This record gives sequence, C-alpha cells and structure tokens, in this order.
Amino acid sequence: MSDPKMKFLVVDDFATMRRIVRNLLKELGFANVDEAEDGAVALQRLQGGGFDFVVTDWNMPNMDGLQLLQAVRANPALAHLPVLMITAEAKKENIIAAAQAGASGYIVKPFTAGTLSEKLSKIFEKQNAKAA
Amino acid sequence: MSDFHGMDDLLQDFLVEATDLLSGVDNKLVDLERAPGDRALLNEIFRGFHTIKGGAGFLHAAELVTLCHLTENLFDKLRNGELEVTPEIMDAILDATATVRHMFGYLERGVQPPGAEAHLLQDLKNAVAGQVGVAVAVPAVALAPVMAESLAATGPDWHALHAAVTGVLIANNGPASRAANVYVAEASSTAFGRRATDKPGNIQMSGRREGERVRETAIRVDTARLDQVLNLSGEIGLTKNRLNALRSDILNGKQDGETLQALDAAVSQLDLLVSDLQNAVMKTRMQPVGRLFQKYPRIVRDLARGLGKEIEVELAGEDTEIDKTMIEDLSDPIIHLLRNAVDHGVETPSERLALGKPTKAQVRLEAHQEGDHIVLLVSDDGRGMNPENLRAKALEKGLITDEEANMMDERQSLNLVLLPGFSTAAQVSDVSGRGVGMDVVKTNIQKLNGAIEIRSTPGKGTTFTISLPLTLAILPVLLVRLGEQPFALPLSMVREILPVQPDEIQEIGGRATMVVRGEVLSILPLASLLGWEQVNAPEYGVLMQTAESSFILAIDAFAGREDAVIKSLDDFRPKGVAGVTTLSNGQVVLILDIKELLASRGDTRGVSRQALLAKLAEAA
Repeated sequence: MSDPKMKFLVVDDFATMRRIVRNLLKELGFANVDEAEDGAVALQRLQGGGFDFVVTDWNMPNMDGLQLLQAVRANPALAHLPVLMITAEAKKENIIAAAQAGASGYIVKPFTAGTLSEKLSKIFEKQNAKAA
Repeated sequence: MSDFHGMDDLLQDFLVEATDLLSGVDNKLVDLERAPGDRALLNEIFRGFHTIKGGAGFLHAAELVTLCHLTENLFDKLRNGELEVTPEIMDAILDATATVRHMFGYLERGVQPPGAEAHLLQDLKNAVAGQVGVAVAVPAVALAPVMAESLAATGPDWHALHAAVTGVLIANNGPASRAANVYVAEASSTAFGRRATDKPGNIQMSGRREGERVRETAIRVDTARLDQVLNLSGEIGLTKNRLNALRSDILNGKQDGETLQALDAAVSQLDLLVSDLQNAVMKTRMQPVGRLFQKYPRIVRDLARGLGKEIEVELAGEDTEIDKTMIEDLSDPIIHLLRNAVDHGVETPSERLALGKPTKAQVRLEAHQEGDHIVLLVSDDGRGMNPENLRAKALEKGLITDEEANMMDERQSLNLVLLPGFSTAAQVSDVSGRGVGMDVVKTNIQKLNGAIEIRSTPGKGTTFTISLPLTLAILPVLLVRLGEQPFALPLSMVREILPVQPDEIQEIGGRATMVVRGEVLSILPLASLLGWEQVNAPEYGVLMQTAESSFILAIDAFAGREDAVIKSLDDFRPKGVAGVTTLSNGQVVLILDIKELLASRGDTRGVSRQALLAKLAEAA
C-alpha cells in the first residue's frame, strides 16, 4: 500500500514546518506532496480530490488540526483517508482527543525521518489489514 | 563554524518566518497590555510561541525550545482563564520575547543559543505555578563592589558582573560569556529608573554590536509574482524563436515587406516583454514596509515606559512596498528617529497636562508612495524644536561659525541636528542623546540615494520626512557633456538647469558666483572637479543640491535624461565614480558621485571668474 506515487497533503501554518515535513517525506521516497496552510484550506483541497494521505499540524488558525480531522471523518468521501497528526504536545489528553477523533497516527515534534517512516508503515499495515 | 551544518537552508527559512512571527507577537503583546483579557489575542500569542518551539525543535535548539515551551505554558493558562495578566507576568513575557529574539541573533550567526537567564526561566515557572511577583532585581549596591574589585584587576570581569546582576554563575565560556557581556552592559546602564529585568525589547536595536549581524539572504516572494516572471520569460523565449526563424528567412534572401514587418513586430514585442520582465523581477524584491514597521510599537513602548512617558504609536501605509535591501538599511535610522521622538520630542505626562495636551503622546510612522519615490514620515506631537536654540547650541559646540549661524534659515537650522556631534539634550540619557545617531541617520539615508527633511513647530511637534527612490537598481540621471564626453549626474541632486551668462558671473572672495533668485551660489566647473583642463567656457550650469550645500556645476552641454541601470564597479572604483551605465547607442557613461568629487577635491571654493571666462575671452 506504500505506493511512492501516493499523494500527500501537508497541513501547517508555518511554512518552515511544511518544508521540513515535505523533505522528510521525500527522504522516505514520497515526492508527490501538496501543501495547505490551515485546516480550512486543507479541507477545500481535499474536497477537490486526488489525495491519499493527510499529515497535519494541530495548532493552526481558522481551522485547527483536530477540527480538520473531525471534518474529514464526517465527510463520507474523505472518511477513509489516513490522517497523521503532528504536534508539539505529548500530553495524554491531546493524544486521547486525537485518537477519539479518529486520527490514524500521532507524532510529536521534533521527529526524524526514521520516526516518520515508522508511523507511516504502521498506518499502512493497519490499512492493508483492513483491506485484506 | 556553523552549528547547523547541512541545515542552513532550513535555518534561513526558519529565521525569516520565525522573526516575522515574533514581531507579530511583540505587537500583540503591546495590544495585550491594553486589553489583558482578550482571549483571541492570547490564543494568537500562544500559537506564535508554539510554532517557534516546533521549528526550533527540528534545529535542535534546545534552549530556545525550553524558553518557548515555558512561555507557551504560561499563555495556555492565561487563555484558559486559569491565570490573569498582571504587570509582573507581562514583564516576564516581554523579557521572554526579547530573549527569544536574542537567541535568533545567535542562530543567524550559526551558533546554538545559550540558555536563557535562570531568573527569567524561574519567573516564568513561578508565573505558571501561579506565584507572582517573586522576581526581584538584584539591588544595584551589589553591583558596585564587584565592579570596583574587578576593575582593579585587568578590566571588568564579565562573569562576576553577570553573576552579580543575575545571581547566576556562567558555567561555560564560549557564546555564553558574550551573552553575559551584552546583558550586563544593558542591565547596568538601565539600573536606575528601570528594573534590571526590564530589558529593552529588541536587543538588536542597541545597534553597534561588533557588526556581527548577518544579512538575511532569503526572501519571501508572493508566488503570483514568481509566476509572472516565469510567464514572461516563457514569452520571451517564444519571441526569440520567432526572431530566429525570421533571421534565417532574411539570411536566405527573403526580404519582402511582410518579413520585415514581422521582424519589426517581433522586436517591438520583445521590447515590451523585456521591460515587463524587468519590472516583474524588480517586484520580487519589493516587500511591504509593514514588516519593518511591525517591530516598532514594541520598541517605542519599552522606551516610553523606561522614561515614564505615555505614548501611542500609530502606523500607516504598511502595505507600501520598498526594495528589500532598503528595508534592512532603513531599520536602524528609523529606530534612531523613534528614539529621538520618544526621548527628546515627547514631553512627560505631567508636562503635557500643564500644556493642555492629552497626556498620551502620539508618535506616528507612515509610509506612502509619491510618484517614483517612497516617503516615510516619523512624527511626534511633542515639544518641537526651536531653530534659535539649535543655532545657539551648534555655535556653542563649535560646529558652525557666528557668520554661518546668522545666515541660516529655519530649514538649515533644523538640519543642524543631523550634524555629527550635535545633541541637544542637556543631559545624556541612556536612550539617546549621545550625539551619535542623527548623523548616522543622515548618512544611511544618503547611502540609499534618499533625502531627509525636518519640519518642526515649537510646542506642536516634529516631523522627519525621508524620501527614497523606489529601487536602487535604476537611477534617473541627467546626462551632461564636457567636450564630447558625456557624464551622468543623479537627478535627485539636480534642482534646476540654467544658462551661464558671462555678465551674470560675479566674483566674491576670489571665486566665481552667480545670484539665482537672491541666493548667492558658487560656480564649480565640472572640468576642475575632474581635474581636467577647461577647454571651452561653460555654457550651462546645473544647480546641484547636496544636504550641506548648493552650488552651480558648470558644464558644456546637455544630452538629456535617462533612467540608468547602474552597473557598479566593484573591484575597481575610481574616486568620484558611483558606477557606469550604458546608453541606448552602446556608449558607456560614468555616473558621477558628486559628494565624493567635492570631498576629494578638498576645498570647494571654486575658481575665479577670470579663470572661468578666460576661454570665452579667447574665443571672442
């Protein structure tokens, strides 16, 4: 399921962070990456279709990552998309909130390509298991 | 050596974006003081620190992460209503922002920042824990013995001083000791009237730090503008193909009217496209001046607070765009002007009350475009300047002579404050008034081919007007001729052009002069400035105006005006030549640096009437 052509949407209001994530994804062989600067923009892009994976920051203006996740899960056309949450918080209540909203994974800043790869493969495994 | 090997790009990006973010935070903090309970504001500030923390983590800047994390925690409590903004908390927060900015300074130099001062971290922790007002500045008394002791040795022991001020011992040397250096200098100079913890907001503003500030090399460009550049270069490519095809047609002997017409059309199209492209590329360098303005309200606030004044900063025209390099070079001059306004311009609240003015003073920073110039205004509604006092002061300091003082009009008198060594404050304060600064402002503005003008009404306030060219890459010039040789003069210095009639030339004090509308101006032949021999008697004069003086530059003829694209002569720069440009006919022309020519000549007394007219007499 980890098709190198799969299309990622990286959502973060901080351009530097988008670039970091994009570079890490590239390191892992995923070059098809698009960006959005907040949840609202991201949702619009996602509704346009063509995306296979969402990596989103939590804390953003307009629509934060959790709201985006909830909106994605509530939309039948998008609900299947894996959503990986990135945040600087390692607080238990945050992780629980993300899990309850249906996040596919949760990763705490700062992280390395190794950590990201690990999280991604876990998500792919789960998906494959579901598909099987 | 960089601590960020392999991450330079990332570091640059981070700094550009995070610095913006921090300026935004600074401004919101100023707003927060007015509306301490504003949730939206608290939330935005929280997010600012949060975002910086996230980015810093990837750069492994642990100390920055720690500081941001603590501050963020504090804001988390504030925005959730668990804590309320108190002056003590505000102080700690402002201190934290200043320290974050200071840390950016280290990152800019490619060095991992040292830890924040322990008392700041403790203040933040206390605030988060809900214990307020624990921070106490170390009394200045403690400083004195240490100072005396260490000075008795080879010089000030910065470590001991730092320890005395902060109560912390510096463990490692390296960058940390440098940090101590800066902190102590500031803490001790602000010891009275301000708390030692109350540092000025932007450490960079203390300017003259060993010139270690590295210029930003990255620039943020609107993608729409880049697309336009791409689009235009694509079209130029297409037009080039068209020209190639036409060339081979013509070389093959096809020279009918239709082909030539097509050639004409293609060339004019190329013409248009190239100038559009030039414009578009120039636009990528243009940045809204708001990015520069952002940091000022905070600086003014800190200064005003330190001086016990109440000031509101009003910004206008933040969308006005200026060349990026200019934005950087304008930063310091504007800080100086603002400092001056806060320190000298604005009265204390009680003075203002006595004068029947509102206690809160207004300092206004405005930008707008006027034709091909950008105009920046820095104004205050303070006490204004009295030309009479300025002249007396300059006289007393020996900056001007009695004779000069008597001849000065109001504008010239006000300009005296721009002279090196001029400071009107009777007492030197730690904010301004060292007699440096204002002349630096003038020099910096002139370096940008700009001009500064002062208007002031005693009792009402002062306005500094800075006008700057839109870009530094293109310079409008006046082409003049000396014999057959053309030279270019910056049009910004040209006031008017007039014929030189021999019978209008008078000799005063052994030099040729002319009276233009009641003003006596000396005539300087361009030939003598260049060290050439005067071949013809000059027929025209160009009234040149520099900041210090006006004079008539005598020349042979004109060749028109042109927007010169300056090519600077980097490796080889003859004195008095600002650069070169190429005319439409391919001829290379020198652009003269009049100020340098005048300076290199040493005396600007001019030549005698006889010398000037000798050739004319010969010809006649």
